[in-house]
Amino acid sequence: MIRENYLNRINNSNKPFAIYKTAKGFDFYTDFSKKIILNNKNINKFLNIKFEKKKNYKKTDLLIGFFGYELLNNLIGVKLPKQKNINFPKGIFYKPETKTILKNNLVYKSNYNNKISKKFKININQNSYTKIFNMFKKKIKSGETYQIKICTKYKNNSKIDPLDFFCRLAKSNLAPEAFMIKDKDFSIISCSPENLITKKGLSISTKPIAGTLRKTKKINKKKALNFFRNNIKETKEHNMIVDMERNDLSKICKPGTVKLIKEKNVEEYKDLYHYVSLITGMLKKNVKNIDIIKAMMPGGSVIGCPKISTLNLLNKQEKENRNIYTGSFGYIKFNGDMRFNIIIRSILNYKNISEISVASGVVIDSNAKHEFNENFIKAKALIDLFR
Amino acid sequence: MIYVIDHKDSFTHNVVHQLSLFDKVECDDFSKINKSKLNKASTIVFSPGPGSPKDYPLSSKIYKQFKGKKKIIGICLGFQQILFCEGANIIEQNKIYHGFQSEVLVNKFSKLFDVGSKFKVGRYHSLKLKEPFNSENFDITMRCVTSGAAMSFENNVDKIYGFQFHPESFLTINGKILIKKILSA
Repeated sequence: MIRENYLNRINNSNKPFAIYKTAKGFDFYTDFSKKIILNNKNINKFLNIKFEKKKNYKKTDLLIGFFGYELLNNLIGVKLPKQKNINFPKGIFYKPETKTILKNNLVYKSNYNNKISKKFKININQNSYTKIFNMFKKKIKSGETYQIKICTKYKNNSKIDPLDFFCRLAKSNLAPEAFMIKDKDFSIISCSPENLITKKGLSISTKPIAGTLRKTKKINKKKALNFFRNNIKETKEHNMIVDMERNDLSKICKPGTVKLIKEKNVEEYKDLYHYVSLITGMLKKNVKNIDIIKAMMPGGSVIGCPKISTLNLLNKQEKENRNIYTGSFGYIKFNGDMRFNIIIRSILNYKNISEISVASGVVIDSNAKHEFNENFIKAKALIDLFR
Repeated sequence: MIYVIDHKDSFTHNVVHQLSLFDKVECDDFSKINKSKLNKASTIVFSPGPGSPKDYPLSSKIYKQFKGKKKIIGICLGFQQILFCEGANIIEQNKIYHGFQSEVLVNKFSKLFDVGSKFKVGRYHSLKLKEPFNSENFDITMRCVTSGAAMSFENNVDKIYGFQFHPESFLTINGKILIKKILSA
C-alpha cells in the first residue's frame, strides 16, 4: 500500500526520480544507482551494451531516460549546424533501484513557494514564421519535402515545483505517454500522447498520431471521426505518416509481417480527440536495439516526410537547439524489451529557465496564420500551468 | 535478385518489403551503389524520393547503362527518372498530391493490365510528366481519372515499367498484384 504522503516524502528528500504513465496508473522510479550522460561519442557504445542474461529479471532491471533531438539526428548521420545552445545534456539514462506503482489520482500537496512568472517570450514572431512557412511551401512544390513541421519555442524564467506541475497536468490532461523527470539541476514534465516504440520479444508496434481536435460539448466521438474523415488536409497528413511508419518498421521487420492493425481511429482524451493508427510487425532475428532506434527515431510524425531531406531542411533553418523536443523518453529493459514515446507537449526546466517547444505541420494546403495559432494553442495548455 | 536503388525516401522500405514477397531483394543508397550487386541483379528498381530526376545523375547513368539488358522498374521519382532519361520534361503541377488517394484507369495501350479497369491508388508527387511525350516503345498505360495525369508506363520491348503512384502504399488497393504482374512480365 502506498501511503498518501509518499510523493511528498520523496519530493522532500530531494532524490532524483522519474514517473511514466502506464495503462493503469503511473510507474515511479527512484534510488538511481547510475546516471549515464549521453553525447555524440558514447551513444553507440551505450546502445550496444549487452545486458547479462538471467532467468528472472527484477522490475528495476532497466535503464530509463531520454534521447535528445540532436543525438538522434547524429545517430542516423544527419549533422546539425551550429545553433544557439543552452548546453543541456543530449541524453540521460538512469538505473533505478526502486520502482513503485501509483494509481491515476496522484496525491501530492505542494508546499513549495513557487516563484513563477507568467510572461513567456516566443523565439519566432508571426512575420518570421510566415516567411519560413512560405519558403517551406516552395520546397513542397519542388518535391524536396511532402510535409514539414515548423517548431516555435516559448521561454521564461521561473523556479518551479515540477511534481506539482506534473500532478496538475495529469489532472487536466491524462495523456497515455505522460512522464516526468526531476533531477538536481533540471526537470522535464510532459503530457506526450504518442507511443513510438513498444517492443516485447520479437513483436514491435508504433502508434502515430496525426490530427488533433479540441473537445467541446457539441462534438462527440462519432462527430470527431466524421470531422477527420471529411477533412482532406488532415487525412492526407495522416496517410503520409502511416506509410512512413510502415516504412520505418519495414527496415527491421520480417517481410510480410508489417500490418496496419488500426487504421485512422479516433481516440478520446479528457480535452482532445486524436486521429490515431496502430502499426505492428515481427522483428527480424538479428535486429539489435540500436537498429530499432536508428530505424524509428526521431519519430516521423513530428518531423515530416521524407525524413532525411525534411530533417536537413529543418536543421538548416532552426537557429536554436531543440534539446529534448521531438526526442524520445522511455526505457530499455535488461531482457531487451523497450518502450519509448515522442517528447512533445513538454516543459524543460534547466537552471530555472523553462522552455516549451511546439510544432505544427506545413502541407501544400495549410495556412500560415492558422498553423501559427495552432502552435500557440498547443503551448497554451502548458503555459497555463504557470499561474 | 532485385536491386533497389534508394533515393533516401521514407517509403523505400515499403517497396523493399513488397518486392521481398516475390524474390530476394537488396537495397542500397543511390550514392553507395555496390557494383557486384548491380551486375548480379536481374531487375533494377528506382525508388521514390524527394526532389527531381535532375538531382540524381548517378541513377540516370545506371539506367542508360542497363536499359534493354535488365528489367527496370521505377516508382514515383523512379518513374520520372526513367522518363527524364528518355527525354521527357518533368514539371511542377498546379495541384499537388501528397498522401492522396485517387482513381486510375487502364487504357488500351496496356499489355499487362485489364484494359478499362479502374482502381484506387496512393499518390505522393509534387512533379509530373509534361505531355505530349513520345519515346520509342514507351506507352502511357494508366491515367488519373480526374486530371488525366500519366500514372503508369510500359515498355514491353525492353521490359521497362513505371508507376507515378505508390503500389506499396496502404492507399493502393491490390498493389501487390500490380507488382507481381510486372515482375513476371
